[in-house]
Amino acid sequence: MTKIDQYESAFRSADKAVYTYQRIEPAKILVVSDFDGEAANRFFESVRSFLSVLDDVRPTFSHLDGDAFETVGELLEAVELRQPDLIVTYRHLHSEAWHWPYSLGQHLDVLTQATPIPVLVLPHPDDDQSLPQSLLNTDRVMAITDHLAGDDVLVNWALRFTESDGTCWLTHIESGPGLERILDAVSKIAEIDSEQANTLIPAQLLKEPADYIRGCRNLIESEEIRVKIEEIVTVGHRLSEYRRLVEEHQIDLLVMHTMDGDQFAMRGSAYPLAVELRQIPLLML
Amino acid sequence: MLVTGFFAFLLTSMIVCLALEEKLHAKKSVIVGGFAVVCLLIGGALDLLPFHEMVIHVGEESILLPVYIPAIDWGVVAIILGSSLFVDATSKSGLFTWIAIKLTKASRGDPLLLLICYGIMTVVFSAVLNNVTAMIIVGSLTAVSLKRLGVEDKLLGFLLIEGLLTNVGGLLTLISSVPNIIIGNAAGISFMTFFMRAAPYVLVTTAATLALGAKIFGIRRLATATEVEEAARHVAGFDENDGIESAFAFWFGATMLAAFIATIAAASIPDTLLNDLGMGYVALSFAIIMLIRHKSTADRFYQAVDWDLLAFFAALFIVINVMEHALVLDAIGRLLRPVLEMGEPSGPIALLVSSAIASSVTDNIPLAAMLAKILTGAGIASDSPYWWSVVFGANLGGNLTPIGSASTLVAVTIIHKNGLTLSFVSFVRAALPFALGQLALASIYLWWVS
Repeated sequence: MTKIDQYESAFRSADKAVYTYQRIEPAKILVVSDFDGEAANRFFESVRSFLSVLDDVRPTFSHLDGDAFETVGELLEAVELRQPDLIVTYRHLHSEAWHWPYSLGQHLDVLTQATPIPVLVLPHPDDDQSLPQSLLNTDRVMAITDHLAGDDVLVNWALRFTESDGTCWLTHIESGPGLERILDAVSKIAEIDSEQANTLIPAQLLKEPADYIRGCRNLIESEEIRVKIEEIVTVGHRLSEYRRLVEEHQIDLLVMHTMDGDQFAMRGSAYPLAVELRQIPLLML
Repeated sequence: MLVTGFFAFLLTSMIVCLALEEKLHAKKSVIVGGFAVVCLLIGGALDLLPFHEMVIHVGEESILLPVYIPAIDWGVVAIILGSSLFVDATSKSGLFTWIAIKLTKASRGDPLLLLICYGIMTVVFSAVLNNVTAMIIVGSLTAVSLKRLGVEDKLLGFLLIEGLLTNVGGLLTLISSVPNIIIGNAAGISFMTFFMRAAPYVLVTTAATLALGAKIFGIRRLATATEVEEAARHVAGFDENDGIESAFAFWFGATMLAAFIATIAAASIPDTLLNDLGMGYVALSFAIIMLIRHKSTADRFYQAVDWDLLAFFAALFIVINVMEHALVLDAIGRLLRPVLEMGEPSGPIALLVSSAIASSVTDNIPLAAMLAKILTGAGIASDSPYWWSVVFGANLGGNLTPIGSASTLVAVTIIHKNGLTLSFVSFVRAALPFALGQLALASIYLWWVS
């Protein structure tokens, strides 16, 4: 019955994830900071300027300043009350812990997981280590994931935040250490041809996102959306690869998933990425 | 008489063992090979075998052949080996998956159109390739595409209809199934004659099977515009070019397939060089051409050949040959004489029904081989409907039970592989209306051609 498997594999491989374009239109945007008064207004205006790419849908901007909340519970209540489509904030609200790059801060930790609302996390306003291009514009946006094929939501958000005539990188980094573990296990199974597995498994893992990106590019061109799609599909150590890519391509905004089904904790590699990639804005879906 | 009775017992035992192949956990080649060894030994000991006639004179040289070598129909073995290698090498071009996915997309995911497309594809693939390969290709695609469309509840119906259609498609040409090859060779029916005779029946029966299948399994067209749009979006995700290594490989495969069919047809024209060389030569030549294209990996294709089937044939021909010398075939011929003497159309119809019943519980290849010998011995003319009774009966009988043919067995395997249950009795109950309908149409057709 090997031939049944052969043909089933061929047809499964031919069954591609199809990209469906859907324009994202965030109507209500909530800017959350721990500043008060004039400082809060300055931050609010810098956010509005940074998000000028959304001006065509004329979203309603509102702000939640430092004196409006103190605890995580108060922040969640305020968000629940206002029901925004997008939250913009930064790490370590009401805390000095932003000096130490080891966490997101309790407010953001909970906010990203307790609500389904996408959160745009900006570099801390007092942090001088931000990359020079940070908060200038969004003409270089990168969507990052370890499972790109079929992730229309990620692509649509990344596309929405890319300015006209800008570039959107669709990036799939397959975990190098994870793949090595699988191939190592395969090499110990006598029934599987290790030489074939070493070639075919990585090739198939990279083929799926590459095919999906090709489909995205074709559809985006047919929809006449003026955004250039770039493809990065590779195997490597995720965190270091993303860090390298951000610097190499001077990325203005990273788009990534943080929710993982019904689990409470942030998904896979999202947390270390969110903690460590502090120099540029991150859109956490 | 005692010797003939003993060998008839051996033959019956072999047929019973073949029917119980799954229970015995033994491959066909081993079962029949074992019987061939025993038959040769006893036949030789009883002085039934013509050892003294096994000498070939080449010029002044005399070559002594082992008695079992001329017993094998090497023409049939060459056709099966050549076709198998050729089809396997051609499938690497991605041609068959391309056709299968193109048809899936043409249906836009509508279940009824999908059933019609897959049904026609099953018949055509069974005719051009072989029933088992056709069932594997169409069955695998059916499982993947119905899951993609979210209509897995129709999978059982689709696979069953496709399984039944493989045996209908297997009637279309002389090389579509092994019984056709055996009967065609024995009766001297040409490729084109066979096709012209079988095509009208295959056309009508395919349409009837699809119509009945759609009714029994409730396979209908999509009702709303939303359903139509969603189904079309699902099948649009299939990429027909995914399995194609290169455009050259694809077109080479397509051209070679067309050339193969044309050359096989041409080989049936009397008094030509190809006719003298035979269809086995054509099949092996095309296999070699395809292997030259894959010269560095040719050994993989050799590994993929169904050596069990080929060894089974070789051993089977030896057993039949010994049975001939032991006058077992004469005895069966005498039993069949009342059927042959019934005249037309009753005789051919009776032979059709009895061969279908026999073929439903055991392999149709020994049946075809045995009946071919008997009909040849009875001096039946090549244009007689009796040959067609055996062709129709041996092929369609496979639709009565899941063990009746290799392709229905593959269909059941794919059904089980997808987590569906279908017992022996459930299969018979589900397939019976189709099989009876197909046999009724075959009887009408035989009556008409008589």
